[in-house]
Amino acid sequence: MAAIAKNHDYHMVEPSPWPFVMSAAVLVMAIGAISWMHEWTPWIFFVGLAGVLYTMYAWWSDVIKEANQGDHTPVVQMHHRYGMMLFIASEVMVFFGFFWAYFDGFFRLDDVEQYARVAATSGMWPPTGVELFDPFHLPLFNTLLLLTSGTTVTWAHHALLEGDREGLKWGLVLTVLLGALFTGVQALEYSEAGFAFSHNMYGATFFMATGLHGFHVLIGTIFLLVCLIRALRGDFTPERHLGFEFAAWYWHFVDVVWLFLFASIYVWGSWGVAIHH
Amino acid sequence: MADTAHLEAHATGHDASSHHEPTGWRRWVYSTNHKDIGVMYLVFAIFAGVIGGLLSGVMRMELQEPGIQIFHGLAAMVYGIEGGEALDAGKHMYNVFTTAHALIMIFFVVMPATMGGFANYFAPLMIGAPDTAFPRINNIAFWLLPPAFILLMLSLFFEGTGPTALGFGGGWTIYPPLSSTVGHPGPAMDFAILSLHVAGISSILGAINLITTIFNMRAPGMTLHKMPLFAWSVLVTAFLLVLALPVLAGGITMLLTDRNFDTAFFKPAEGGDPVLFQHLFWFFGHPEVYIMILPGFGIVSHIVSTFSRKPIFGYMAMAYAMVAIGFVGFVVWAHHMYTTGLSLDVQRYFVAATMVIAVPTGVKIFSWIATMWGGSITFKSPMLWAIGFIFLFTVGGVTGVVLANAGADRALHDTYYVVAHFHYVLSLGAVFSIFAAWYYWYPKMFGYMYNEFLAQLHFWVMFVGVNLIFFPQHFLGLAGMPRRYIDYPDAFGFFNRISSIGYYITFAAMLIFFYATWEASRKKRPAGDNPWGEGATTLEWTLSSPPPFHQFTTLPKIDSTNAH
Amino acid sequence: MTGQFLKKMGALSAAAMALMPALAAAQEETGYTAGHPLPGQFHLQRSVTPIMDSITAFHDGILMWTISLIVLFVLALLLWIAFRFNAKRNPVPAGFTHNTLVEIVWTVLPVVILIVIAIPSFGVLSDQLTTPDGERKYLGSNIFSFGEVEVPAPELTIKATGQQWYWDYEYVDQGVALTSLILDEEDRTATKPGQPRLLAVDNELVVPVDTTVRVQVTADPLGVIHAFAVPSFGIKIDAVPGRLNETWFNARETGIYYGQCSELCGRDHAFMPIAVRVVTKEEFAAFMAAFEGGDYAAASATLAAVQ
Repeated sequence: MAAIAKNHDYHMVEPSPWPFVMSAAVLVMAIGAISWMHEWTPWIFFVGLAGVLYTMYAWWSDVIKEANQGDHTPVVQMHHRYGMMLFIASEVMVFFGFFWAYFDGFFRLDDVEQYARVAATSGMWPPTGVELFDPFHLPLFNTLLLLTSGTTVTWAHHALLEGDREGLKWGLVLTVLLGALFTGVQALEYSEAGFAFSHNMYGATFFMATGLHGFHVLIGTIFLLVCLIRALRGDFTPERHLGFEFAAWYWHFVDVVWLFLFASIYVWGSWGVAIHH
Repeated sequence: MADTAHLEAHATGHDASSHHEPTGWRRWVYSTNHKDIGVMYLVFAIFAGVIGGLLSGVMRMELQEPGIQIFHGLAAMVYGIEGGEALDAGKHMYNVFTTAHALIMIFFVVMPATMGGFANYFAPLMIGAPDTAFPRINNIAFWLLPPAFILLMLSLFFEGTGPTALGFGGGWTIYPPLSSTVGHPGPAMDFAILSLHVAGISSILGAINLITTIFNMRAPGMTLHKMPLFAWSVLVTAFLLVLALPVLAGGITMLLTDRNFDTAFFKPAEGGDPVLFQHLFWFFGHPEVYIMILPGFGIVSHIVSTFSRKPIFGYMAMAYAMVAIGFVGFVVWAHHMYTTGLSLDVQRYFVAATMVIAVPTGVKIFSWIATMWGGSITFKSPMLWAIGFIFLFTVGGVTGVVLANAGADRALHDTYYVVAHFHYVLSLGAVFSIFAAWYYWYPKMFGYMYNEFLAQLHFWVMFVGVNLIFFPQHFLGLAGMPRRYIDYPDAFGFFNRISSIGYYITFAAMLIFFYATWEASRKKRPAGDNPWGEGATTLEWTLSSPPPFHQFTTLPKIDSTNAH
Repeated sequence: MTGQFLKKMGALSAAAMALMPALAAAQEETGYTAGHPLPGQFHLQRSVTPIMDSITAFHDGILMWTISLIVLFVLALLLWIAFRFNAKRNPVPAGFTHNTLVEIVWTVLPVVILIVIAIPSFGVLSDQLTTPDGERKYLGSNIFSFGEVEVPAPELTIKATGQQWYWDYEYVDQGVALTSLILDEEDRTATKPGQPRLLAVDNELVVPVDTTVRVQVTADPLGVIHAFAVPSFGIKIDAVPGRLNETWFNARETGIYYGQCSELCGRDHAFMPIAVRVVTKEEFAAFMAAFEGGDYAAASATLAAVQ
């Protein structure tokens, strides 16, 4: 379809099949998740997931194409910034919910009315029987990894702004590697955990909060990887690189969430408690 | 607002874009047009509203007399069982009906109608924008709703507590352990959870789109403080959505893992806490009630101003009262939990914080009245609905003040008084604002005028009907009738019968509504660009009816001297 | 000064209360002694405890008046506007959009009204959540006092456990327990035809009159949430698995007082009533003596049969 005659800088987006296809795939994935959880078959879920992933690819390809053909005027770029900020704000609120659950256990550990909880945890946080990680072992290492990755992504950004393509490339490569390393270390840490996800409040809140964070690290890493591939293909200019900028924002968000997790769950949560080695 | 807006936008827009309009099913399914998406939302809300309304009808028929009349027969038909088994199945089915009624009305009727339909259609028009900021996001926000609705409908047909107890019957508040495997081991609850997840994502995406649109796409010269109040109400509501819904998503995710992966979040025997869920739920749930009513505030402001032929009284106070309500709405959640065993200090705090909300709400009600004061009022149907809204919302609001007092709530919590209260603010408040918007903007959206007599008849019959349903429920609540009961002591029979009669009258009102809509679409009386005259000053009235497929191809300029 | 003001407010609220439920009083004439709703009842159930006295005074004396007047005021304004400012009578609309004085008034006045509500509200609430120690005075009907009603410290502790779908009661100090189930219609008409349908139970919880009873409320640890409520006592508290909530009452009249489960708990939510039988202290002593062995039927045989 031809572009619409207009006297403004807004992007009048052409009709697109992807929202509908995505919704249909989400429906299949949701039904599939239930059928998997109730042990009928896992396959419906994967069909839905494939649909979701394919649609994401196709949708974002369209966005990149539109960016390249100049649809993303300054005002449209401003839209994207707002959108990304609001998306991150909503993500923050998801973590807010999981932190709430953690602190419900942390602060209300010896609430006498809650006799069943006190019986299960001995009025302790972490509850009896839960052996904690030494926060200054792997978790501190992971903190350093993420903080370093924050600087490397900033390096890449500045390199991009100054037209230093090599710097951009290597900054991104390092960031992606650090992100992947973080995920590996987190997996190692999980495998050594002295508590399980199931059947105890500590494990539930710990794994839910850190697990969701880990999932975000993974997404952020993929996001950065996509940026790296685009950078290698020659995308992004010092003036126009929103995709890269959002990956960096997202990465910083993931970084900050980790600092909260590290400070409150790993360090504060293990204050004066026997540590698992 | 801004009746000096440049009109060439409308003149040139239509010609320039008409031959690019997508046609057939693609126009809707692939849509990136805020008005088409708005219309789809409205059609969806009406469709879901019919189902939600019929569910409540069966409930009211059941409650018309003491004893169990309907549901054991219904269960016998559905499951092919009889006697005591059918009775038990019927009792569960009643709970499923109350739950589905609430979830449908909240997530699939009121929210899609206000934040989906009217906000999508009119917020961009009112701020002079050619479309929304993210048209594809807008479309997926809509298209995620049918899957969410399908998941909820599927939940009705999967096992809840047993093979003859399908569906989830734990109330829209989905408190564990009733909603965990203890209360509902079957997959029905999982369907309901994922339905809420999907509906939640839909609303968050829609909200992000609307916030960005309102912040970034206002016409040149339209500062935030000149923006129409409906856009303000949508802005505040969208922020509530972005900040509140993720907390619900987190809560129900924990519920899902408690159910399927043996986690212990809400299991006291393993160190969890069922009341934690209630906190998470109401941290979302309280903003949610403002999400449902705030767009109505915006709608009513415009209608009152239009038909009084007078600018809105106290515009700034009106706008910031909504901001204040939105803000305070986040710190009052536990007033839904006065009987859970909260400590005295906590209850005192929530009493004080909750009462604060009465102040900005009062400002709004009195400002509407002051807008009408001195006006030259014509009582066309949208105005009737708006005035009806103001009165009924006042009734629902003051009973909210009663319930805010934990001391009084002790007697009224979980009784029909609460049912009466929230139906006065929602089913009489929010729904009246939706009908007000429908009759106000129908000519703009569809280009035709409805039959004014039918619209007014619809109003009066519905006004009598809903009051008859819900006013007696205050009495039932005061006398102690608990809510979510399929059967009640015989003493409660009288007011229940009146309440049920009210339902039938409301049902008749809905028939009038559908007939009026059909009649309008058949008679095709052209409405003209602005059927409401000089009182209607917002930008949508400067466009043709219906507006061109892409409006404002040249952005309107807002005269700096003529604000709101 | 303050004391006198409060006393005046107290008298005022008492007068308001006397006015408001004049109709209610008429309804109460005909043998309204039992603690259950009457046909067509439109007001709070009859109070037999200082807590419900204060709730009734607060609702009937303050809240009901305030909200009714606000609604009537708004309605009157709307009607006046419809009469005076319709297009026929007022063809030329005014153009004003601000009036600072009016705006201040309608902001400040509601604040004042809310404060007037809040003062007794906090008192009523504090009474409910403070278990008597024998020293503390309770508001009772005079909610603008600093407490006038003496309430003794608890002498009896009951533990109520919500089950799906009935109540277990335990006399904690005496170490005896009973289970209380709804009477189905056949049994009710056969054994207790005088008691209301859906409220009558097989075994009532028996407590002495004029005695402060501490009620600990919980639910089956592997069950769901219920809520223990008796309207005439002004109590309602959730029965949450794993959590021990506490409330109290001190009933001044003998009789049977009914309540119903007040938190959705599944299929038979509407069919797990609460029936508390308040008896004289002598009757209770005899009842408890017979109950020591754990035989509820034998114990309840010491009481006069209630049909």
